[in-house]
Amino acid sequence: MGTLIIVLTYVAYVFIVVVYTVKVVAWLRMPLHIRWDLYPVIHEEHYRYGGSYYEQQEWWTKPCPKNTWRSLLYSLKDNLYMGEYYERNRLYWSFLLPWHIGFIFIITFHILCFFAAVAMIGGLDIGVVSAHVAGRIFYYVLLFTGGIAFITGTFGSLGMPIVRLADRGLRTYAMPMNYFNYLFFLLVYGSGLYAWLALDPTLDEYRTYWLGLITLTAPTLQPMTILHILLFDIFLIYLPFTRSTHYITRILAYFFIRWDDEPNLPGGKLERQIGGLLGRKVSWAGKHIPTGKSWAEAVTESGLPEVQKGKS
Amino acid sequence: MKNNMKIEDFCRPGGQVAEIDPAELIPLPPPYDKMEKAPIRKLTEEQRKRMDASLDGVVAIGLAPPASPEEEKAFIEKFLAGLEKLFSAEDNWTFLQPLTHTLDYCVKCQICSDACPTYLASGRQDIYRPTMRPEILRRIISKYVKKEHPLLRKFKASDIDLDWQTLARLAELAYRCTLCRRCAQVCLLGCDNALVSREIRKVFSQQMGIAPKELHEKGSVQQLRVGSSTGMTPAALKNILEFVEEEIEEKTGRKIKIPVDKKGADMLLIHNAGEFMAWPENLEAFAIILDAAGVDWTLSTEIAGYDSVNYGVWYDDVQFARVAIRQSQAAKSLGVRKISLGECGHAHKAGIVVADRILTGDLNIPRESCLPLLEEIVLSGRIKLDPSRNNFPVTLHDPCNMVRLMGIVAPQRRILKKICPQFREMEPHGVENYCCGGGSGFAIIQSTNFPDWRSAVSGRMKLKQIIEAFQDVPEPEIKKYVCAPCSNCKGQFRDMFEYYGVWEKSGILYGGLVELIVNAMADLKKPFIQWEWH
Repeated sequence: MGTLIIVLTYVAYVFIVVVYTVKVVAWLRMPLHIRWDLYPVIHEEHYRYGGSYYEQQEWWTKPCPKNTWRSLLYSLKDNLYMGEYYERNRLYWSFLLPWHIGFIFIITFHILCFFAAVAMIGGLDIGVVSAHVAGRIFYYVLLFTGGIAFITGTFGSLGMPIVRLADRGLRTYAMPMNYFNYLFFLLVYGSGLYAWLALDPTLDEYRTYWLGLITLTAPTLQPMTILHILLFDIFLIYLPFTRSTHYITRILAYFFIRWDDEPNLPGGKLERQIGGLLGRKVSWAGKHIPTGKSWAEAVTESGLPEVQKGKS
Repeated sequence: MKNNMKIEDFCRPGGQVAEIDPAELIPLPPPYDKMEKAPIRKLTEEQRKRMDASLDGVVAIGLAPPASPEEEKAFIEKFLAGLEKLFSAEDNWTFLQPLTHTLDYCVKCQICSDACPTYLASGRQDIYRPTMRPEILRRIISKYVKKEHPLLRKFKASDIDLDWQTLARLAELAYRCTLCRRCAQVCLLGCDNALVSREIRKVFSQQMGIAPKELHEKGSVQQLRVGSSTGMTPAALKNILEFVEEEIEEKTGRKIKIPVDKKGADMLLIHNAGEFMAWPENLEAFAIILDAAGVDWTLSTEIAGYDSVNYGVWYDDVQFARVAIRQSQAAKSLGVRKISLGECGHAHKAGIVVADRILTGDLNIPRESCLPLLEEIVLSGRIKLDPSRNNFPVTLHDPCNMVRLMGIVAPQRRILKKICPQFREMEPHGVENYCCGGGSGFAIIQSTNFPDWRSAVSGRMKLKQIIEAFQDVPEPEIKKYVCAPCSNCKGQFRDMFEYYGVWEKSGILYGGLVELIVNAMADLKKPFIQWEWH
């Protein structure tokens, strides 16, 4: 069993990293789109009231300072706070946030476990009575992140189906996949919660598990911890098939769509890109569109509306 | 039908998916809380036979039912072929990324529903939720484009049976969203369900040649053919300008020659041509201000060069690009240094922002809003203003395209605060404003009972805001002014105020920003604003 979880864990991590990467790269490789910005744009100087550089006369002659750090912090903050939900649907938020916190913390917990195992290989003793202060800090940080992950994840997974069934709009748009996810995630977090509270109150087994992963040595663990780890590995493999990439793509959408206010200045890089896009072929079949021509041709010369297909 | 609608009801054969019940519409403040007439006229039997109204009993497009099963099949196949093009990097590079992101990552959490003025005003009709259109589209894609396995479709609740009527309903539903994008603004995942409305319109237009005639045949097609979506030719424009010059002289005693086709002028000003026909006082006010401020400007008589509208921004990328290019060509032929857009919201967004990724080379002429220029003229003291001349209650409507969609928020406020002592904001305002209800072409769509719908439903939140902004001065004898620096918004206010009798009941007039500036000009002998309903 110890060997199985080592193999499965490696497979799960490689799988999720590869598929997430493929999805994010595919997202980023889509062509430049027409500007579709929406205000407030957070990197703008007057973002507090939603103002843009267009408020200046002859804006193209003025500096347009961008505060990218502010945008980044704003978008990351919402992963941990979900302000719009807090403002607009407090009940939903009160379950959705713990559900998401559970996810973020369980991933964080495992990453920290990895570093803890590396530190242990380096000779650090991790525990409440560790001789080294770093060992004691590691112990409490792991206990905190793991505990928060199991508690909030379980709470969120229990509450989400209730709130989805109770709310008319959410219920109308619910799909079997939603309820499957809630149940599956409940099993993942619930098994972890039980293993922690009943069998492994110091979360020592996860350090043993990660030590085994790094040294490729099958660890000896409690059956419930093994069950949780197996479920968690399957969870990692399943995630790319859900909309979970939104943790990343929502930030991309903010930066590359909602806040994309980069002007196309004459002679610039954008202008060259647009020139290339206007060379792409059009195959729309509407009578006012000359199929087979490039965008540049379709919107200038022969594509005038009075030129009917078949007559041109 | 309002409660517990299932998505499957959208595809239910026959009947009507939703019924607009006047009793369920969001209440308006007195005296508008008791409407005597039914809010939306019923279609006649003859109209119902001729046009599909099975969505909500309202018609914006009015598709005619197919004459045969073969015709229905061809219709569906054509739509599906168009749908595939929507996800092509060749055919739809323009919006592929935002569209794909929305369809892939929306979790249907319904936060956007409570931001949608149409959904709220309708009394929360499920059919108007911003998530409805994408959901129907997602299901069609799952079954007919991606051809996902039936078990997967069950798991994802993405099954759907496609027939002509479902598509006819979807086409209509795409024209129940004003594209105000308030829904997108609140989405934590960066999704934009309003864009999906636009992209559905695009499939119908670019693939099937289906669009409201006011937007296409009488809109962008006419604009490219004769010069303006109003049908106004360059010759007619010159006549109107003569009339405008006479009017200016009559109202102000000033003889102003409006510059037309002035080669090498510093600035080409492009108005929404609707102003020429319906609100010439707006043109007069612009001419008076620019003349007084000594601005070197001109109008154009080139095709599309005297009409800033670009209806393609609402339904068709190709038509959009054609108009944008013609407008820039007009500026190029005059050799101006820059283009300034007059008081029209969608023309701002289309001409300054959206066209930014269409125009290249010598057509990429700098384009800006008229508002910063007006602000500079007003605040710099280049013209002498007396705010006491505007001592009446004024509120400001924020055109979505100008404010939420391009971030021009403060200049118009600084002007109003300077020249209108009784200026007050609506709530909410700025980038959180509500649409006038006439956005995305609704203000010009006159099909059957559609104008009733936009007054009763899509414009309802805005009317409520306006009435509440003036709640301290409800008497019709106290004349009040809604400043709407946008032609389409003014068109909506004209129809909606007429529908509710707002002028008679509350004494509220609508108009542009420049009219208020000229009205405050200290050296004019008489007020510029004429308190007459028109």
